[in-house]
Amino acid sequence: MHPRVYLDHNASTPVHPEVVQAMLPYFSERFGNPSSVHGFGREAREGIETAREHIAHFLRVGKEEIVFTSGGTESDNMAIKGVAMARRQGHLITSQIEHHAVLRTCQNLETLGFDVTYVAIDGFGAVDPDEIRRAIRPDTILISIMHANSEVGTIEPIREIGRIARERGIPFHVDAVQTFGKVAIDVDGFGIDLLSFSSHKIYGPKGVAGLFIRRGTKMVSVQHGGEHERRRRAGTENVPGIVGLGKAVEVRARDMEAEAPRVTALRDRLWQGVSARVPDVRLNGHPTERLPGTCNLCFKNVESESIVLGLDLKGIGVSAGSACTSGNVEPSYVLVAMGVPLDWAMGSVRCSLGRGTTAEDIDYVVESVAPLVGKLRDLSPAKA
Amino acid sequence: MAYSATLIDHFRNPRNAGIMRDPDGVGEGEYKECMDLARFYLRVSDGRVVEARFQTYGCGPTIAASSAATELAAGQGLEELAALHEASVEAAVGGLPEERRHAAEVVALAMRAAARDALMRLGTTRRPGMA
Repeated sequence: MHPRVYLDHNASTPVHPEVVQAMLPYFSERFGNPSSVHGFGREAREGIETAREHIAHFLRVGKEEIVFTSGGTESDNMAIKGVAMARRQGHLITSQIEHHAVLRTCQNLETLGFDVTYVAIDGFGAVDPDEIRRAIRPDTILISIMHANSEVGTIEPIREIGRIARERGIPFHVDAVQTFGKVAIDVDGFGIDLLSFSSHKIYGPKGVAGLFIRRGTKMVSVQHGGEHERRRRAGTENVPGIVGLGKAVEVRARDMEAEAPRVTALRDRLWQGVSARVPDVRLNGHPTERLPGTCNLCFKNVESESIVLGLDLKGIGVSAGSACTSGNVEPSYVLVAMGVPLDWAMGSVRCSLGRGTTAEDIDYVVESVAPLVGKLRDLSPAKA
Repeated sequence: MAYSATLIDHFRNPRNAGIMRDPDGVGEGEYKECMDLARFYLRVSDGRVVEARFQTYGCGPTIAASSAATELAAGQGLEELAALHEASVEAAVGGLPEERRHAAEVVALAMRAAARDALMRLGTTRRPGMA
């Protein structure tokens, strides 16, 4: 029997046992509708507001500036559409390597008459703040740049971009789904007006997330209905989920500082091990300005899905960079934007480590990858 | 995505992988949309395949289907193999998920090309007056 090694923490994480414990009473005991005035409702409301306090404290923002949503995708939609629709027209700036929740929201706005500039990135996957400065127009209404890219882990120069946005008086949205609870976020210092964050990337449950909205940010609701979340997001709150998110944040606030160097060291051990044993492999993303747990590798002339399947058979969970859907393989748009050649980009594999990852896990992955890649290359015809 | 036990077995332990020296037929199939490439080599005796080998670049199902197709080809007549249908390849790996059907397509394409190549070479060596 193989050990099971999970290296896909950028996709999702196991719920922390303390989080599970915190959530449990909110399924069957404190099950009331938080909008109800009776005691059952008040208990549920208390759970939500405690979670909101934890998050506000963690981000050093006002409690009333936190809105709960159903996921990072909803948070991104709410931020971008909310700001755009409040202005009815204008120009937005984002980057070519944002999450689809941002990219497709911006593309949708283009069909409604908004203009969008998708700034290019460099070979490390980093946005050049000067590119943002150059893209600004008199009618620019929003700048939306992710804090770190989920595929390659590069951390973007958010502080510099925030300074530019502030100088020009343009609202600044940051998709921080991959960094929230992993690296420090200085909301005020970075000049952030809107910040998307999620629960299931930080050992909380799925289906719950949040958006920080700086007081005074001009925006409209994109989901209509009841008076929930100070009329900013209609719909009965996911009480157990929100309680779980609040607890997850509390745990991250306690653990993240000590965890980051440990995970970074393991990430580097993985790269050193693989690169010492496998020829023709490259590391994608910034060498240092990168998420602690993210190690995106390209194996030349090997198809990434065959590596993922081969590792899966060894009990190892990683994700493929190129996706094959209905017989069409699309190399990762992030790697393409970074200028990674196609014969490398087709063989990209993302390993994302987390709090449960051990040195033994990494050594097992290194021992498994080397013969697998060798075998797949042996199977390959000369042309490949 | 769920793969059959047969597919996994072929991926894990590919049969007849690698180049063949002086083959009697060689054929390639490429699926441009996903860049998969399969190549088969055939050894033929009395119009029947005695050995098939493969080299493949592609996802797990395409590698597994290539391996299964070499077993499928062994013992078959060249005319029969030149008409190999993707459904036979798919059956040989215990079925394929809808979004991986291309694996059977590219493999069948390559095997048919190899069989046609062998038939052509055979035809050439058996030209009237040469036998």
